Amino acid sequence: MKRFIIICTMELKLFTREFFGFFFALVFPVLMLVLFGSIYGNTPIYPGADAKVMDVSVPAYSVMVIGVTGLMSLPLTLSNCKEKKIYKRFDATPVGKKNIISAQIFVNFLMTLVGICILIAAGKILYHIQIKGTFLSICICLLLSTAAMFSLGFLLTAIGRDLKSTNLLCYLFYFIMLFLSGATMPDMLFPDTIKKISNLLPMTHAVDLMQGAFAGESLTLHKMELLILGALTVICAAVGATLYSKKDWT
Amino acid sequence: MSQGIVQVENLNLAYKGLRAVQNVSFQIKSGEILAIIGQNGSGKTSTVECIEGLRKPDSGLVQVFGKDPWLHRSEIYKEMGIQLQEVEYPSKIRVEEQCRLFASFYERPADWDLLLTQLGLDKKRKQPIHKLSGGEKQRLSILLSLMGRPKLLVLDELTTGLDPEVRQNMWISFENIRKNGVAIIMVSHYLDEVEALADKILYLEKGKQQFFGTQQGFREYVKSLIPQNEWKDNYSLEKLYLMIAPKTTGLTMEGIL
Repeated sequence: MKRFIIICTMELKLFTREFFGFFFALVFPVLMLVLFGSIYGNTPIYPGADAKVMDVSVPAYSVMVIGVTGLMSLPLTLSNCKEKKIYKRFDATPVGKKNIISAQIFVNFLMTLVGICILIAAGKILYHIQIKGTFLSICICLLLSTAAMFSLGFLLTAIGRDLKSTNLLCYLFYFIMLFLSGATMPDMLFPDTIKKISNLLPMTHAVDLMQGAFAGESLTLHKMELLILGALTVICAAVGATLYSKKDWT
Repeated sequence: MSQGIVQVENLNLAYKGLRAVQNVSFQIKSGEILAIIGQNGSGKTSTVECIEGLRKPDSGLVQVFGKDPWLHRSEIYKEMGIQLQEVEYPSKIRVEEQCRLFASFYERPADWDLLLTQLGLDKKRKQPIHKLSGGEKQRLSILLSLMGRPKLLVLDELTTGLDPEVRQNMWISFENIRKNGVAIIMVSHYLDEVEALADKILYLEKGKQQFFGTQQGFREYVKSLIPQNEWKDNYSLEKLYLMIAPKTTGLTMEGIL
């Protein structure tokens, strides 16, 4: 356990030294919140609506944080370490690559939580956002959304032949989902065609689920999202693991 | 009495349609240095990767400390130090952080602070690894291989990238390490290094074992292969090797001009 903590501490330091992950997971979502907050304020999402713009933006931006760690930071770390044979070096120690990969997953999860906590704190302090959902239901939705995005990111590293192609896949998936899922701008603004595409994206379901959980909606209203994200987690992890078992780590 | 550390019998390994290692057999005892020599692609690294447990042999016996390295890798690594041929570390990690991290992998790690000084890296301890020169990275790699106070060291291209002075110092260091009973397997293209250090030589060509034995035995082996009028007793190991190694064509100016 002590050894795992040392590895995690090291991975945490490395995470904070990478500008992309650090900025886009911890700083950028708060900047977005402040930017859109300064434009719209915490007004109702439509006249007479109970929910306010910032109340729904915080859970949406939370998914943006999950997207950064799950679709960019973690997969690019995995792919980089594999390509540069960093895992091979760790495999030649009593610790092995599994411990390093576990630590990398843990640190990315931890930074997801930190990013979301910063976001919630900023929302509470600056815009007095209301979180009506229970801690448990938010945790369940957060864990499932994170598992789905991490699993998808893992699959992308398994599909990518090298760091370059994995980079391309990750950027493609991340930015398409970022702009079309409702994580950055409300999907109610989208035209019908874009809405149809949006409904096919896993991140859209994560946004809907998180917004529902924050709004205090019963999880039974989100069976479809739970099912889609759960299935995505299992399928991507299984296919990714199968593809990885055929890869040469040496 | 010397204790057997590594035993390899009829090792075979093929991948990507290539028979990389064919019927290779050798053994090494504690306090011995074995040099594996041969051209690029002759199966040297594949052979050591089987000993390191990083590749699973297709057939044959490989035992390190009496155990199969493929099945007991993490156990064996407690007593085996490894320097890989091609390796990088996370680019933004600092030298001392990498050392501290590796030290945490072992129950009784080496005094890496002292090793940093001895290897001339003490002024680089705060430096991110990606800012080290090739030779400095190589020295760090050697340091990390010693971190677990190993009884067996496997060094793939030990002194590649080091300047002559550091190479000579490295030879002295490894001679001292051997005197303490550590067995060393080194893959090297530098025959002067092999001549200075190795007790035994394993010579591979296209994955096939051509010779295994002492340095004197290797001289006798070469002598038996070349015309007697070409033989001189004072030939260096490098000269002897070049006499029997497959010839490669050099660069001609026709392709350039």
